[in-house]
Amino acid sequence: MLAAAAIALAGAAIAAADLRAHRERIEYRLLAVLPNEAAADPALVRFAVAQARPLFEQYCAACHGADMRGNTALGAPNLTDQVWLYGSGSVYDIERTVLYGIRSGQSKARNVTDMPAFGLRGVLTDAEIRDVVQYLLKLNRRPYDAEAAEEGHTLYYSTKGDCGDCHAGDARGDSDYGAPDLTVNVWDSGGDAQSLYDSIYFGRHRIMPAWLGTLSLEQIRALAVYIHTVSHPTATAAPAAGREG
Amino acid sequence: MTELSVARPPSALKQRLAALARRPQRSLALPACGIAIGLAVACFGLFRPASRPGTVVPPGYVALVNQKGVLMSDLISQTESETGAEFSDASPAERSRVLREMINEELLVQRGLALDLPETTTEVRDTMAAAVNAQVVAPLLAIAPSDAQLHAFYDTHRAKYTTGGTMTVHDLVLHVGGYQNADQSVAQAEEDAVEAVYQLRSGASIDYVMEHFGFVDSGRVDNTEELDFAAKIHLGAKLYQVAETLGDGEVSDPIVDTDGVHVLVMDQRELPSVADFSVARAQVYSDYRQAELQRATQENLAVLRSEAQILLAPGETE
Repeated sequence: MLAAAAIALAGAAIAAADLRAHRERIEYRLLAVLPNEAAADPALVRFAVAQARPLFEQYCAACHGADMRGNTALGAPNLTDQVWLYGSGSVYDIERTVLYGIRSGQSKARNVTDMPAFGLRGVLTDAEIRDVVQYLLKLNRRPYDAEAAEEGHTLYYSTKGDCGDCHAGDARGDSDYGAPDLTVNVWDSGGDAQSLYDSIYFGRHRIMPAWLGTLSLEQIRALAVYIHTVSHPTATAAPAAGREG
Repeated sequence: MTELSVARPPSALKQRLAALARRPQRSLALPACGIAIGLAVACFGLFRPASRPGTVVPPGYVALVNQKGVLMSDLISQTESETGAEFSDASPAERSRVLREMINEELLVQRGLALDLPETTTEVRDTMAAAVNAQVVAPLLAIAPSDAQLHAFYDTHRAKYTTGGTMTVHDLVLHVGGYQNADQSVAQAEEDAVEAVYQLRSGASIDYVMEHFGFVDSGRVDNTEELDFAAKIHLGAKLYQVAETLGDGEVSDPIVDTDGVHVLVMDQRELPSVADFSVARAQVYSDYRQAELQRATQENLAVLRSEAQILLAPGETE
């Protein structure tokens, strides 16, 4: 009996040591590869997803929702689609945002510009803002008032509205500025006419905290891979259940 | 009897005693194997080559500079920023150059800390203070004010939105007491000025009064439209105090100043007025935000003060 127990203990010790070594190797690899390369490695993806799920629940879900579909009241974007304010949604782009945040007060944060308060500052009148809203509805192939949309179109390109300065002449946005694409009908702060009006009238200055210092590099990389995986289900190995690590 | 008893099979008790006597010899071998394996595993764990801290760059970093890491993510960002291309398209030479720059910067920053620059260098202190404030106000900036809040701010700060008044005024003076060779006394000049004021208010022209009573243009203003603040500088506080109360076409009472007795004739007066909210809106918005940020930084300082131990030398106040 004692002999069997000793052998079992030794076996368990070997197995634990092996597991630990395996985990250390994969942890090392998760950070050692370039960020975008991690998404192409199924073992890393599985490991990262397992690590990141509880982290997301603890640190991210309050704003982005447990289902990762965002919160328009907070302006927190849906992380499950493939529409990104900053960058193209690569692991590197996501990781960068998680590391330093958006308008977090850190100089490395994403903070080129924000959405000005056209109404509060008196740049556009109520009527003009409603015209621009109609133009946005038209851009997204939603029901709109043709006459108002025409006025809105003029304002979009006028020096008064100058919307194209950030959102680009074709209204497809600029991911360097964090200026959203206005043609894909994805709206972080709500896409109904009143929400669009509010975005133009009051402006938007959404923030996201910098997580470097709170989370470890490995945790941040795991989150980036996880979010990338969820938003690019066909591009990476599916976050299937299985051995974690 | 004896032989018979020897040939008899051992009793159950004897068998058990014999088994117990043999057992320790067999069970020692197996545990010994287990122990040996366990020791081997432990030895492997204990004595396997392990890197000393600070001698190996941890994953996720591209360099350690005096144990301070340079992030791979920062190298990618910096390289893309400097080359304008994807990191994967950057040449090894470009990557090396950027990394060298980052290491140099880290070395200089570390040297700066060693030299205690925050203690000795104003620019570093200012930058640090500004960076702390930036972090404090960052969440506040995400909250857009309402129209009602802007209106309330405008109502309580109306004086800030006053448009400057303007005036076109003539300043006539009768010099006295030897000033510019005028030998008359103040009393004489005042007497003449009273009469001149009467004439002017009765419709006499400025030219007539100047010629008849000996007034000259003081030269303090050039008789063209001026903003109030400029007129105040030019006329001096004493004359301006009177000028700002005059309406279009009004003539002041005589005013005694250092160089003689003055009479002011107001051609045109535009009073200062409070800009309508709709006109001042952009400025109100900007001022409101500024005030909110100021409030946040003050509150942060109050917290820092409440947690700090600040001792003042005897006799010192702050």
